[in-house]
Amino acid sequence: MSETTMDEGHISNADEAGQGHEATAVATESRETTKSAAAPAADERLAYRSIFQRMFVQPEIGAIIGVIGVWTFFWAVSLNFGTAGQTQNWLDTASTLGIMAVAVSMLMIGGEFDLSSGANTGAMGILFILLIKEVGELGGLGISIWFAVPISFAAALLIGYLNGKMVERTALPSFIVTLATFFILRGLKLGMSKLLTGQISVTFTDEASGYDFWQPIFAGEWIRNEHIWNSRDIFYLGFAIGGAILLALSMCEMHFVRRETKSAAGFPVLGAGAAGVGVAIFLMHTTDGVNANALAAAVLGVSVLVGLIGLGMWRYEPVESPGGIRLTGKINMRIAIGVALVGAAILASFAIDSDNAETLFFPFTVQGLRVVLMMALGGAGFTLLTWAANLALRVNPTTKLAVSTIMAGAIVAFGFVIRASAEATKFRTELFSVFMFAALGIFVWSVMSVRFKERRSVDDGADALGMKGLGLGIFMLVLAVILRHLFVTQDELDAMVNPARFSVRMLWFFAFTAVMAYLLARTRFGSWTFAVGGNAQASRQVGVPAARTKTQLFMIVSGAAWLVGMLLAFRLSSLQAGAGDGEEFEFIIAAVVGGTLLTGGYGTAIGASFGAAIMAMSLVGIQSARWNTDWRFVFLGVILLLAVIANRYIRDQATATRR
Amino acid sequence: MAERALLELENISKFYGNIIALEGVSTKVNAGEVTCVLGDNGAGKSTFIKILAGVHQQSEGSIFLNNEEVMFSSPRDALNGGIATVYQDLAMVPLMSVWRNFFLGAEPTKGFGPFKWIDQQKAMTIAKDEMAKMGIDIRDTEQPVGTLSGGERQSVAIARAGYFGAKVLILDEPTSALGVKQSGVVLKRIVEARNQGLAVIFITHNPAHAYPVGDRFLILNRGKSLGSYDKDDITQQELTGLMAGGQELQELQQELEEAISGVKKT
Repeated sequence: MSETTMDEGHISNADEAGQGHEATAVATESRETTKSAAAPAADERLAYRSIFQRMFVQPEIGAIIGVIGVWTFFWAVSLNFGTAGQTQNWLDTASTLGIMAVAVSMLMIGGEFDLSSGANTGAMGILFILLIKEVGELGGLGISIWFAVPISFAAALLIGYLNGKMVERTALPSFIVTLATFFILRGLKLGMSKLLTGQISVTFTDEASGYDFWQPIFAGEWIRNEHIWNSRDIFYLGFAIGGAILLALSMCEMHFVRRETKSAAGFPVLGAGAAGVGVAIFLMHTTDGVNANALAAAVLGVSVLVGLIGLGMWRYEPVESPGGIRLTGKINMRIAIGVALVGAAILASFAIDSDNAETLFFPFTVQGLRVVLMMALGGAGFTLLTWAANLALRVNPTTKLAVSTIMAGAIVAFGFVIRASAEATKFRTELFSVFMFAALGIFVWSVMSVRFKERRSVDDGADALGMKGLGLGIFMLVLAVILRHLFVTQDELDAMVNPARFSVRMLWFFAFTAVMAYLLARTRFGSWTFAVGGNAQASRQVGVPAARTKTQLFMIVSGAAWLVGMLLAFRLSSLQAGAGDGEEFEFIIAAVVGGTLLTGGYGTAIGASFGAAIMAMSLVGIQSARWNTDWRFVFLGVILLLAVIANRYIRDQATATRR
Repeated sequence: MAERALLELENISKFYGNIIALEGVSTKVNAGEVTCVLGDNGAGKSTFIKILAGVHQQSEGSIFLNNEEVMFSSPRDALNGGIATVYQDLAMVPLMSVWRNFFLGAEPTKGFGPFKWIDQQKAMTIAKDEMAKMGIDIRDTEQPVGTLSGGERQSVAIARAGYFGAKVLILDEPTSALGVKQSGVVLKRIVEARNQGLAVIFITHNPAHAYPVGDRFLILNRGKSLGSYDKDDITQQELTGLMAGGQELQELQQELEEAISGVKKT
């Protein structure tokens, strides 16, 4: 920290300082202070962290990488994961799990646990059904859904309130208190079901008054087959390509040093590149032959490179002398091992017969084993090559370009092997394209790094613009994915067997996550949640109502349990007395996978929702990969372990090295 | 009645059952002055702070704030009266950002009704600015408090107290866990706060830290006051001697010398 002037002019401020400040006075003064403080050598210990390094320490980043990784994994190893039908499948599982995971993660950030949350979901569903059910002998109350909804909601809030109050009054760990609530609810569910209906499950009726109004709210569906839109692919491609271009431009903007004066010399080059990209996409879209497509792909690759260099000439500071290639022994060794591993992966793919459809004693089929071998060996090889590239970057950009070129070459080779040896079109076309794009990206990025200066200092203007572009780009990509999943073209419809039904449940999930994320990040309640979880005593000392905040958190969890109870009741139309029991640990696992700290004070709502998505994808993905589902918990356990280690690393980075 | 200082204590005593934690302690602190409370472990310093901070209530004696006799029933009560306490454990949440910690419990909000949200921009600007006044440049107020050094954390706490309109600032052993340089930084902040017109009560067991910044010294020993001295009336040596209870220190010195010479012989 800088120990600059401290005695100047503060005495005259004494009165003001004593009584709090006018915002305007502060604003003008702060501008002066920041100006003087932001002088070049503000703090010699403050190393510059690029935007990517800073993004990497966001608490959600582990879960985001996990979502992408798990999705890609199952997309690669199964035939139908990634289709609308399977997406609907895992989103459905993720919805009920995710609503609870988000609520539970808020409570965990506040430093408490709720072991009754799982049983509570079932209890709310059963309570609701018993309220509206009209059964002969003892039966339910048979009241209107219009009354049953608010009554059951009030009951849920009451349970949360009692949980919170009991934890506060007894000062016992919430683990114990809510364990008691869990048993009480569990017993009540079974007892009441048997007492009132004589069965261990309660069945829903659609005769209760108000059903027609409430059914679409809690169980409405969007059947994809009914929504044909033949121009879908044009919009899909438009958004996807636009989004990808925006992402690339924003990353350049945040990564390279801006020129003092922009140079118009780059425009023609940029224009040529853009035109080339346009032509290539048009060619790809209109032609069908393999050779024509290969030509178009080559045009695309060159155009992207030319276009980005044009952009750089226009906007960014060039590198004077990038230096020659200097490979050290360390780098060479990693390249050698990396290339050898990729080679081994290629060999493995040839060694195992791609026509063999037998199931091994292991949960894998022969094909599964082949894919896993290829991915493990290839993954290890590419990791080593990435490592070599990072080491090379420390030498100079040219050396990195050399290593990256080798890596891109290995990726291309791997892609061609996949295309040659795979039977399914998915591997032959889609996975192949993914590999080609990855190779192109790595190569182009290294070329840019050699030609243009990478930023080593702060530039808030560039970062602000870049973040906006990044946000818009991601939004466009998401929009493209949504379009593709919600609408169907006639061709697709003809080839399809099962319709995908997107349920309103996922909207509840998204909305709930958004509201909770807002509460947590932008309101006093959110701040207090972090505070009571991070240091309860400290927050009490500064006047945070710790007990009230915690009680409200318990009420949020039980409110979420009510919502899930409603969704379950309307979906299943019949609930077992044991519904939801034991799921509380899945909620906690999802929250932890999403980056929530078990000991409180750290985490995000969005992260928890991604954690739920990872778990749901794994459960559904294992089925669609046709693996033996008996092993699914092994998979979940491994994911939990990896997630906890990754999150711990991210948290250490975020809290220890930022000075 | 004569004009009193901003905060005056008269014959404060505190009994826990039959234990006398504090007996007949008097001192005063003016705006723009530093009163140091010195004492060895178990001298009653903690009890003294807790009475002023409203955590405990005195058994006997009176506290005058702004010429009015007051009795603080809770920490919130003392805070509302303008007495802010910076505890040794800092009352900070290490995983939360600087600005969130700065405004914790009193976040500025925008909007109305249930749709209030935190005015983040304002909060960050003010936090940064108040820290700059303390001579600490925090480039990124989003960084967690846990990444700050001990001295910087003390500064956040002091700046926070000043910003929220404290008239009296109580610092509980702010230098005890710090290195030499960090202690120096915190001592500067104390002078800074005093210059801004705050009345500062600085609790410490280190006379070398207290003497340079203090205007008045209250020495406690085993729950009793050994007197309240103005700076002109006492030297650092006398202060150190008084603090350890004169006699005892001499004995200790003698024992030490004997021990050292014993080591040399063998």
